[in-house]
Amino acid sequence: MRRGLIFDIKEFAIHDGPGIRTTVFLKGCPLACMWCHNPEGQSATPQILRNPGGERLVGEYITSDDLAGRLNRQAKIFKQNGGGVTFSGGEPLMQSAFIAEVITLLDDIHVLLDTCGYGSSDDFRHLLKKVDLVYYDLKLMDPELHQKFTGRDNSLILENLTVLSQSGVPFVIRVPLIPTITDTTENLSRIANRIQNLPGLVKVDLLPYNQSAGAKYEAAGMRWQPDYDEKKPVTANLKIFTDLGINVGVK
Amino acid sequence: MNERLKRLKVKARDLDQKSYRQSQPLNILSDINAQNLTWMRRMAHLTARQCQAEVPIIDPDEQIVFTRTLPAEIPEVYTPEQWQELTTGRTIHESGPINNLSPDWGMVLSQGLLEQKQIALDGVMNCQNDPEKLDFYESAIITIDSVIELANRYAKEARRQNRMDLVEVLQQVPARPAQTFREALQSLRLLHSVTHLIGHYQIGLGRFDQFMWPYLRSDLHEGRLDMEQAYDLLAEFFISLNKDSDLYPGVQQGDNGQTITLGGVDQNGQTAVNELTRLCLRVSRDVSMIDPKINLRITADTDLELLSLATELTRKGLGFPQYSNDDVVIPALVKHGYSLEDARDYAVAACWEFIIPGKGMEVVNIGALSFPAAVDRALRDGLLAGEEMAGILDRVRTEIEYQVNHLAQTYEKLILPPAPFFSVLMSDCLSEGKDLSKGAKYNNFGIHGAGSANAADALAAVQEFVFNQRSIKPEDLIAALDQDFQGWEDLRVTLAGKAPKVGNDDDRADTFLVTLFNMFADACEAYGTTTLGGIIRPGSATAMYYIWLTQGFEDMREPIVGATAEGRQSGKPFGANLAPTQGVQIRGPFSVLLSFAKIDYQRIYNGGPITIEISDSVFRDRDSIQKVAMLVRTFAQQGCQQLQLNSMNLETMLDARAHPENHKNLIVRVWGWSGYFCELTPEYQDQIIARHIYAFD
Ligand code: SF4
Repeated sequence: MRRGLIFDIKEFAIHDGPGIRTTVFLKGCPLACMWCHNPEGQSATPQILRNPGGERLVGEYITSDDLAGRLNRQAKIFKQNGGGVTFSGGEPLMQSAFIAEVITLLDDIHVLLDTCGYGSSDDFRHLLKKVDLVYYDLKLMDPELHQKFTGRDNSLILENLTVLSQSGVPFVIRVPLIPTITDTTENLSRIANRIQNLPGLVKVDLLPYNQSAGAKYEAAGMRWQPDYDEKKPVTANLKIFTDLGINVGVK
Repeated sequence: MNERLKRLKVKARDLDQKSYRQSQPLNILSDINAQNLTWMRRMAHLTARQCQAEVPIIDPDEQIVFTRTLPAEIPEVYTPEQWQELTTGRTIHESGPINNLSPDWGMVLSQGLLEQKQIALDGVMNCQNDPEKLDFYESAIITIDSVIELANRYAKEARRQNRMDLVEVLQQVPARPAQTFREALQSLRLLHSVTHLIGHYQIGLGRFDQFMWPYLRSDLHEGRLDMEQAYDLLAEFFISLNKDSDLYPGVQQGDNGQTITLGGVDQNGQTAVNELTRLCLRVSRDVSMIDPKINLRITADTDLELLSLATELTRKGLGFPQYSNDDVVIPALVKHGYSLEDARDYAVAACWEFIIPGKGMEVVNIGALSFPAAVDRALRDGLLAGEEMAGILDRVRTEIEYQVNHLAQTYEKLILPPAPFFSVLMSDCLSEGKDLSKGAKYNNFGIHGAGSANAADALAAVQEFVFNQRSIKPEDLIAALDQDFQGWEDLRVTLAGKAPKVGNDDDRADTFLVTLFNMFADACEAYGTTTLGGIIRPGSATAMYYIWLTQGFEDMREPIVGATAEGRQSGKPFGANLAPTQGVQIRGPFSVLLSFAKIDYQRIYNGGPITIEISDSVFRDRDSIQKVAMLVRTFAQQGCQQLQLNSMNLETMLDARAHPENHKNLIVRVWGWSGYFCELTPEYQDQIIARHIYAFD
């Protein structure tokens, strides 16, 4: 039996997919987005968060059996309310074998995978056979900018987008709107062009920048240094998408 | 809301009506003592004199009138010595008069007071040889005449002000059957106010959307009203309930029992939701005042649209509706002796207790069982005697039985003042010639079950550390409790933070919760029938006992407990109603519902809601209303009994604590009712703030 590393299980997660859900946050992420508001999700080991109010250990190893057991207790709630389980992070693909095992143990529960797409294509392909819906993040289309703001270039992510669109699993593209970085006409147009006509695309969700993104960095022993103006309002130009016949919304 | 309604709301909030208030209560004592009246007649006389002393007040903005001018204090009908003599060896419930009931408003609005008077007159004819009945009937007639006379004086004042619309209404009601929605509202306003005027309190408005709907439906049908006018009238009525409510303080300001119960099923078990149900929710949302407090009866099949509308009130922070699950409540009532027809007609009393409007002389809050006190004694004695958990649980059972028996026996000696006018408003008192104080169709008592999660957590902690891990020595635990954990902080942190807890869907703790409630039910069932012909209904509420049982209160019948084994220090409150122990790390609202769903609500049926706080940040996107509605539906789908869902912004409350002047209208849920935050005493404010620190987001 496998063990996974998680940093939270959130019940009644209402912003993470259809119906009412429970979201499992997996710890560890290959990217380091400058705007990441879950910095404690990045490191793939347990760590201490130090707040003025005290210390807290973040990161708990849990077996697939225990996790599935906990989720199964809520299966009826999910089923009766069009909900399910969401795997988020961090980056779930980093622990795809663990997640695959958990899903096998679930009692017929709707599963949503919330991923940044950076991970082994084989793992991804394997996991796609077990999930019902994917939330797929696209941040920046320019490889260099992607490298600069997330620490990696985006070639793997774009490759996996192809894997996803060929899998038959429905998916939602999610774009974090970072003022002047991702929220530009150029970037959004490139995203729109790349995804139009992809089979399986349900819609695009634009996620306006969260101004409290920096809140947890100090506690996580990390430095918060956004290289953009946080206060700048997002433009969220929906027309770029609607012009191409893409269903789009702002969350 | 239009300008007229806005003005009425401001006037009510600013307590404008206080300027009309008479400074002194009446003194009727020498008068009635000189006449040497029976207690029944004294109460009738009290009603008559209070009604006569009322001065009609008509605000030009009002379409529904009555403003109380007499002060809060109700005139005495006996001297202290006479009262002493009358009540020695007897139990007085709270401050004495019949309270916390809901009359049969539907009957009295549709028949009118004159029809009730006719029944009483016939009674007088038929019982010339029965002085007690005669006394009752003649007293009832006195009260009916005096209330009609009060309405006549209002009509006269209306004529003086050339308000012919009002004259017309007041000539019809409350003497004759209401014919329109407006007349029904006016009749209800006056009759409800009179119950308070003569000393009753926490009198509910019952299944308002059921008994009012026929009037509205026919008005709409006949074209007398459109929906907008109906909205207007209803909003005015709701605002009017906030007008004199400073006179009904309860334990804390706002605890006044002005509840309405909406939705549910009809006598055939079909859904009873109608246009008025939805209108009430919309109006309450827009008026945004603490009264009336709304209870919504739902089932696992209630549609999300209605639940979403109700959730809009939660989002506004009103602290209601409170939800009751018909799937659970109705069969439980039937199981315990209520007829199916009556059970389907239940309403919620002042806070959460299920009562049958018009049909019961039930005292649903005779006191509270303190689960923590029972567990504390059992733990100390059992651990000292070297017992294992089984022995300790036997002792818990004995302690619970003792507390239940003590309260029940105390109430065997209950004495209630005669209530001739209130009897007029009940379904069967007049036809049977029996005053309500002598009993009605249902005569049950209810006991709250307070501190259940704390007590279960205490047992779970002992099981875990004393018996399973053997890491805490019994004598250390007892010493730590005796010293209120001074010098035992590590031990306290272990108990409070590392043991299994109720609210996490963790059977290691929930099993004790279930056991405690089963023992409570056993004790009530074993007690059997009281001399008043009723039974003892166990419930799961705390009322104000979450504070009283830890800090004490004058003349309280319940035991106080100090520090307890779940790591709670002396004086710190228990969780309110069915809620996890305060300060405990909880997985989320699903787990809370799953934990409390394990209680056998067919045996624990006096009411007492699962209480969940959610942060107002939950409501940040459009879907959230529907998803919170799904959470409410989940509560019903899981077979839980009652739910209280509160949404608040923590910063707002903290700011209100510091700058009350900026937050005069901030509403919060306290225990079974909503009040204005700034009108609460600090210990209640603190408890609410603490609850919301752990709100789910
Ligand atoms: S992909 Fe998500 S979790 Fe990973 S660094 Fe970026 S924002 Fe944070």
